[in-house]
Amino acid sequence: MGSWQRRLAPYFFISPFFIGYAVFFLFPVLWAGRLSLFQMTGIGSAPVFIGAQNYLDLLRDELFRKALFNTTYYALGSILLIAPAALGLALLLTRRRLRAREFFRLFYFAPNITSGVVVAIIFGLVFEHEYGLINNLILAPLGFAKIRWLLDAEFILPAVIVLGLWRWTGINALYFMAGLQNVPGDVKEAAVIDGAGRWQSFRYIILPLLRPVIIFVMTFAVIGSYNLFAEPALLTGDVAGGPDNGGLFMTMLLYMNGFRFMKFGYAAALGISLALIILVLTLVQLRILGMFRED
Amino acid sequence: MNRTHCLSRRRFLQSAGLALSAGALAACATAVPAADSGAPAAAAVDMEIWTFVNTHARWFRSMGEDYQAEFAGDFNLTVSEIAYTDMHDKVQIALQTGGVGAPDIADLEQGRFGGFLRGGDPGLVDIQDRLTEGGYLEDLVVNREALYSYKGKIYGVEHALTPVVLYYRADAFEAAGVDMEAVETWDDFIAAGVEVSTADVKAISFSSPLELYARQRGQDYFNEAGEVTLDSELCIETMNWLLALRDAHGIADQPPAGDAWWAAINEGKYLSHAGADWYAGFFKDNAPDLAGQWKARPLPVWEPNGLTTSCYGGTGACIVRTSEVVEEAWDFVEYTMLSVEGNVRRFELTSLFPPYIPAMDDPRLHAADEYFSGQDLGGIFAQVAADVPAQYQSPYRSELNTKLGAKWQAIYDLEETPADVFTSIANEIRDIMAAEA
Repeated sequence: MGSWQRRLAPYFFISPFFIGYAVFFLFPVLWAGRLSLFQMTGIGSAPVFIGAQNYLDLLRDELFRKALFNTTYYALGSILLIAPAALGLALLLTRRRLRAREFFRLFYFAPNITSGVVVAIIFGLVFEHEYGLINNLILAPLGFAKIRWLLDAEFILPAVIVLGLWRWTGINALYFMAGLQNVPGDVKEAAVIDGAGRWQSFRYIILPLLRPVIIFVMTFAVIGSYNLFAEPALLTGDVAGGPDNGGLFMTMLLYMNGFRFMKFGYAAALGISLALIILVLTLVQLRILGMFRED
Repeated sequence: MNRTHCLSRRRFLQSAGLALSAGALAACATAVPAADSGAPAAAAVDMEIWTFVNTHARWFRSMGEDYQAEFAGDFNLTVSEIAYTDMHDKVQIALQTGGVGAPDIADLEQGRFGGFLRGGDPGLVDIQDRLTEGGYLEDLVVNREALYSYKGKIYGVEHALTPVVLYYRADAFEAAGVDMEAVETWDDFIAAGVEVSTADVKAISFSSPLELYARQRGQDYFNEAGEVTLDSELCIETMNWLLALRDAHGIADQPPAGDAWWAAINEGKYLSHAGADWYAGFFKDNAPDLAGQWKARPLPVWEPNGLTTSCYGGTGACIVRTSEVVEEAWDFVEYTMLSVEGNVRRFELTSLFPPYIPAMDDPRLHAADEYFSGQDLGGIFAQVAADVPAQYQSPYRSELNTKLGAKWQAIYDLEETPADVFTSIANEIRDIMAAEA
């Protein structure tokens, strides 16, 4: 009896987390999976089993395709612009002779601790085409015509990416800086002694050693991109993503269907699809970046 | 030593397990009254109201204090002020779960109310009979109740009349020699607008939406039967008329949104705006330096003897059906929303002109408004009250507005015609309605 209790005690102590996890995460996810197989529209409506119909409807839904495109567009921007910018910034901030380094670190990190809602509201003013800062203080002095950032559908996503660049570059630079500080100095010195230039040191020494951090940053960039909600919703002033749904993201479409149109079953199918998309993309990315490689 | 330690841990585990079980059981148990003392307890009423408007919250609390003083028993009112989106989402979730954590009364905004009707049972109390029996349908501007009515049931009492009037820069029109009091029809207004408009300054803008003008003409996106009428000839014609204000007459354009709109107003780029009663407060808050330069008047009519107003916006107080104090909640709604004192005090605290006819003549609603050149704004709202049209509610209004919202820019930029957009969206909504029928 005593030994049975001793064996059980550790599980008892760690159980609160798993109970919480099961009640607040696992059960809702499983319930959403079940709900996605039903047509359930409106408060108090009786669920009607329709099998995979919600998923088939998703494939035919033009807004779903648009939201998927927009979200992927932003995710690519996040990977191809924000992550390299963060790495470049980290390289600059770890330079030995940089003065006021701590100030710059704080300066670039600060946007990350600012509320997404506040950021979106401020950037709404920054991108405003008539009175906005970008058009009047950057484009006009350079002789460029004013851009209707939030009124022309094709400029909404670039605007969201610029917002993302400002907001997320700092925190990602912090991750890269932690990685750069872990690159052994003797390895870099050995490379220099062997005649490696700056680019070669970076390309063949630093970059490979940064792989775990790159994987971390890229993975979270993809997950964060597909979960983005507040910034595009507030920037466009509408959960539908503004003109021609140019800023409609997957999470916004989910919210719209679930809370505005009360299509609970359809919204659940959207949520499950979004989770699967993130899972597949993350696995593909981890595979490409060599997360599972033995070396 | 070892044995003591072992015993101690066991005891701890037993105690912890007991405490956890007790906690779980307590959480699962329904609330039970305290032990019966034998004597009949005074009727205690705990009532919770959710609202997303700070001025509404202030008014509810103020009325609650008076009600408490008059109430025979123990009345405890909790008014929670929750952000707009969060509050509506929380109410929906609470109703969907059968009323778990729901308030007794919720302020539901008209733009979100339609969504509650999807599925046919919004989980709110039908107050049709109560309004009829109390004679309130004669006291209220009954068209305002259309927003909370569906399939013969009424689910809420509207806070505001939301009469739309024309706010205009009296100084600018007077300087151009235009007598705005003489303007009767929209054609007259266009002629007046030409006198004051330049390349940078416009008599009016596209800031007031199509639905506002359409309702003034007796049309809307849905009709009384719940059918889609967005693609009606009148809606299309009205949208084309709006575009012509810019393209044919040069007296309007698309204004910037948000704070930039107020910057433009302060710079004098727009000289009029068709807006509801609540918009008067926006002018005071966002353009205080223009005090004394604005005036308000009834809308110009579309044809002789046409309606002199429209309606725009609205919020209804709705009683949640799962409330344990439905009767008391109705009593409180009567006390606050269906009384002269309640309606007058709401005007004083929120500036919303009441839809309750017996309160409309109260002198407290007719003070001279210095911002609007000393006008009696309440008098103008009361003057047009009888003309306030109905805005028919639909479970599909939110979906229609969402689809339409994505297309306005294409219409303004003349990339797509109102006829094409309205027809396409109307048909999409009809398909959805048919699929869910």
